[in-house]
Amino acid sequence: MRKTTFPAVLATFVVCFLFWLLLDFSFKPEELIAGAIVSLAVALFSARFFIHEKAGWFFHPLRLIKLLGFWCVTFPVELWKANVDMAKRCFTGCTNINPGIVKVPVDLKSDYGQAALANAITLTPGTMTLDIAEQEGQTYYYIHWIDVTATGEEAGEAIKGRLEKGLKGVWE
Amino acid sequence: MSDFLIFAIFFAALALMNLYRLAIGPTAADRQVAGDSADILITCALVLFSLYSGRGVYLDIAIISAMLGIIDTMLVGRYLDRGRWHYDADSDHR
Amino acid sequence: MLIRIIADLLIFVGAVFATAGTIGVVKMPDPYSRMQASTCVATLGMLGVMLGALLYAIFVMASASAAIKVCVIAMLIFVTNPVGAHAIVKGAYRHGIRPDKPMEVDDFRRDFDE
Repeated sequence: MRKTTFPAVLATFVVCFLFWLLLDFSFKPEELIAGAIVSLAVALFSARFFIHEKAGWFFHPLRLIKLLGFWCVTFPVELWKANVDMAKRCFTGCTNINPGIVKVPVDLKSDYGQAALANAITLTPGTMTLDIAEQEGQTYYYIHWIDVTATGEEAGEAIKGRLEKGLKGVWE
Repeated sequence: MSDFLIFAIFFAALALMNLYRLAIGPTAADRQVAGDSADILITCALVLFSLYSGRGVYLDIAIISAMLGIIDTMLVGRYLDRGRWHYDADSDHR
Repeated sequence: MLIRIIADLLIFVGAVFATAGTIGVVKMPDPYSRMQASTCVATLGMLGVMLGALLYAIFVMASASAAIKVCVIAMLIFVTNPVGAHAIVKGAYRHGIRPDKPMEVDDFRRDFDE
């Protein structure tokens, strides 16, 4: 069991409180105090699962801008392309598919980077992450792909090349 | 104004089409996936109907529906995974 | 008026992708392909509707609470959907659900043969 550290609690508290402000959107003192108490309770219980190392990581402005750029520019382009491809397959009878599961090496080291890349791959129609395995220091994803045209490194380049480049600027 | 109502009815009809797969789906995963996408479509229809009628209550219902949609999917997914809630990465993959 | 037309166009794009996803869910031949098609509904189908609703709520209704609620709905679905999809595809594979026509490339079965 990991220990609960004070910076982790503080970072979790700030994120929870910002989310409370977003949901509630009123600035009366009693509602702010209620939100602070609830956020503090949640932070005390869940900080040790939420943050493993450097707690102040998320509040660095440059990383925040890069992360926002990834989710607002790089990812929607890939999402649009994959969606149009999937919609074509669906509208033309659902027959020109060649499903399979490929094993793809991934270079990201951080836990959060791997989770974000796996979620981005799953959100893109046509690819879906099954499992993450680690062998001899190299991380591998098992990805269900609806149209298998390559295996190994080439499959990795075709599935996640642009996404991984976008995320590498944030988590390195 | 009424275009939102037409779109809302269209989304509800798409959710009904998903219920067909939920009824005949041969495996549990099929049924769960169809139910999940029907849930998302109903959420979209609720948002559109809220804009059409101008009442905020439907938006609150849509928030709750979007929040609770994850729970049944996780439950069925972990149940299909042979009921193993705590999965140890070091052990073999059975 | 222009905002109304743009919002309607966005919702129409969302409806097109939602139709594609629904057709995929009903007609695709094996369970994993059906899961892939259902992702289409959860991403661009949902996003088109929410963007259109956001534009309408900001510029025509001019209500901040409706806009924020629409944003929260979109964010919730966008964050939670891949987690559920990941759980159910892995659970289905390890439960032993296989497509009728065997997959040509299957590295998962090769590495962890049951």
